[in-house]
Amino acid sequence: MTAVPAGRSLLRLGPVTLLVRRRAQAVAVLLLILLAAAMLLSLSLGTPYVAPVDVLRALPGDGTPYDLVVRDLRLPRVVLAAVAGAAFGVAGTLVQAVSRNPLASPDVIGVTQGAGLAATVALTTGAAAALVAPAALAGGLLAAAAVLALGARHGLAAQRFVLAGVAVAVALRALIEVVMLAADPIDGLRAQVWLIGTLAGRGWQETAYIAGTLAVLLPVLLWAGWSLSNTALDDDTARGIGLRPTARRVGLATTGVLAAAMVTAQVGAVDFVALVAPQVARRLVRAERPPLLCAALVGALLLVLADLAGRRLFAPTQLPAGVLTAAIGGPYLLFLLVRGRRRPS
Amino acid sequence: MKLATRELVAGYHDRVVLDRLDLDLPAGAFTVVLGPNACGKSTLLRTMARLLTPRAGAVLLDGAAIRDLPTREVARRLGVLPQSPLVPEGITVADLVGRGRQPYQRWWRQWSSEDSAAVTEAMTLADVAALADRPVDSLSGGQRQRVWIAMTLAQQTEALLLDEPTTFLDLAHQVEILDLLRRLRVERGRTVVAVLHDLNQAARYADHVVAMRDGAVVAAGPPGDILTADLVREVFGLDCVVVPCPVTGAPLVVPGPPAVAPAHPAPVLLKGQ
Repeated sequence: MTAVPAGRSLLRLGPVTLLVRRRAQAVAVLLLILLAAAMLLSLSLGTPYVAPVDVLRALPGDGTPYDLVVRDLRLPRVVLAAVAGAAFGVAGTLVQAVSRNPLASPDVIGVTQGAGLAATVALTTGAAAALVAPAALAGGLLAAAAVLALGARHGLAAQRFVLAGVAVAVALRALIEVVMLAADPIDGLRAQVWLIGTLAGRGWQETAYIAGTLAVLLPVLLWAGWSLSNTALDDDTARGIGLRPTARRVGLATTGVLAAAMVTAQVGAVDFVALVAPQVARRLVRAERPPLLCAALVGALLLVLADLAGRRLFAPTQLPAGVLTAAIGGPYLLFLLVRGRRRPS
Repeated sequence: MKLATRELVAGYHDRVVLDRLDLDLPAGAFTVVLGPNACGKSTLLRTMARLLTPRAGAVLLDGAAIRDLPTREVARRLGVLPQSPLVPEGITVADLVGRGRQPYQRWWRQWSSEDSAAVTEAMTLADVAALADRPVDSLSGGQRQRVWIAMTLAQQTEALLLDEPTTFLDLAHQVEILDLLRRLRVERGRTVVAVLHDLNQAARYADHVVAMRDGAVVAAGPPGDILTADLVREVFGLDCVVVPCPVTGAPLVVPGPPAVAPAHPAPVLLKGQ
């Protein structure tokens, strides 16, 4: 039996040996249970109310009276919330690790604004609805490419990355305002809703794109999860133990940006999930860096709950999920600032 | 391991610090690099440790150019302790020492029994095993430095490069670190290279001394042979007397009389306190 560092255990999966925090394992299991419960709740609440038992019966689609409501109306949206939330959590974790900044997220580095500008242009120029998501994806990736190119000099150092991101984000935000002001008010309103981010009327197709992206990125994410633990080391120390800090940062940032651009293109600029999920996960696990898997689970849980609250709080009026995540995220941001930790991490 | 530089040119931004430097460091010896501030000794160490990319010339590891070797392989042969490494917030001693196993790990093979054995041995050797579960940021400067050294020991390299490992420590802790380095060289046959500021500690602990000034090597050799009053004057511009150390017999550098006479034996300032 191999002795492992305190608080860790080995997870053997065939040829793969992973070293994981026991606390992270426990937190992940707990989060999975909470996520399942939240999804079940979201499937059962609404008009009509479907008792959780009936939800479970309806899920396999055996012809119960609730099949339509549960499987076709609610399930796609709930699954989308979970998958999109997970993608936001992953994107936020990676961006925060590279920028060494707990307040960083895809909207600090311009991805959200790039996607937002492209989507706003598409929505206000009468482009086909099917074009909005691809345009947003392209816009997000272009903005991210600009930030990476600007920040890549001097080895994508944390400060440079954040400054380049903020500059690009502010410029794009201004352009969004210009496009909105010039647009027809009805189109402007549609663009506004897109910018806040909503899951209404979205489902399997969007889920497939996001889940597909995450699946393709999975090997990279496994590497990233391992690599993240070393982002807290300074560059000299990292080089000394045989790491290539610049290549690693570019790899982590690119992965995060891909996830962020894809999820933003599909569900809009849902605020704060990417910002809050990694920090909540880090505190739950008590690690020095946000843990990737737990951050994804927190993101999923957060977005499922935000979407549920948006649907039910002022029913029959529906609020976009993005409004609720901002309402949760805002106070949390204040809490982080007030608590004023010694070092940003 | 034999470390050498050939026609090495290195520096920062527009400033060339080392200009065509040729240097050979003896294998299995404790080498100390000396010199005044900004003489290029840290630049030399950082370039040899491939933390700084040279503009021209080469660093040789047993005759092979270091830039042609994969960084993981270099990390298994050459350990480096930078001048002021950043302690990750909240990390424990065992965790940080475990990071030294990085060159032997992959994301699909994150821990092995060799890793475990190497970490235990490194912590024992650096005398930090008792601190294993303590957060590094709660330790004293001396303990912290031993933890960093333990991390580089866990790398199980033949050679170890240290940039001013004693600079911010009190005298007792300086001696502790130097004793540890000496032990590594004598008991484990490691090649140790350190940048130090204290001439007398260099004379006491080193097998080989490299004295630098303005990016060039002024003299290199055993301290007993090269550490003379003339060398100290040439390198540091300081008048001194060199006498045999009463404890070890190594050269002991005693600076000349102060420019302004000191106020002892009876300091006036202390009266009436």
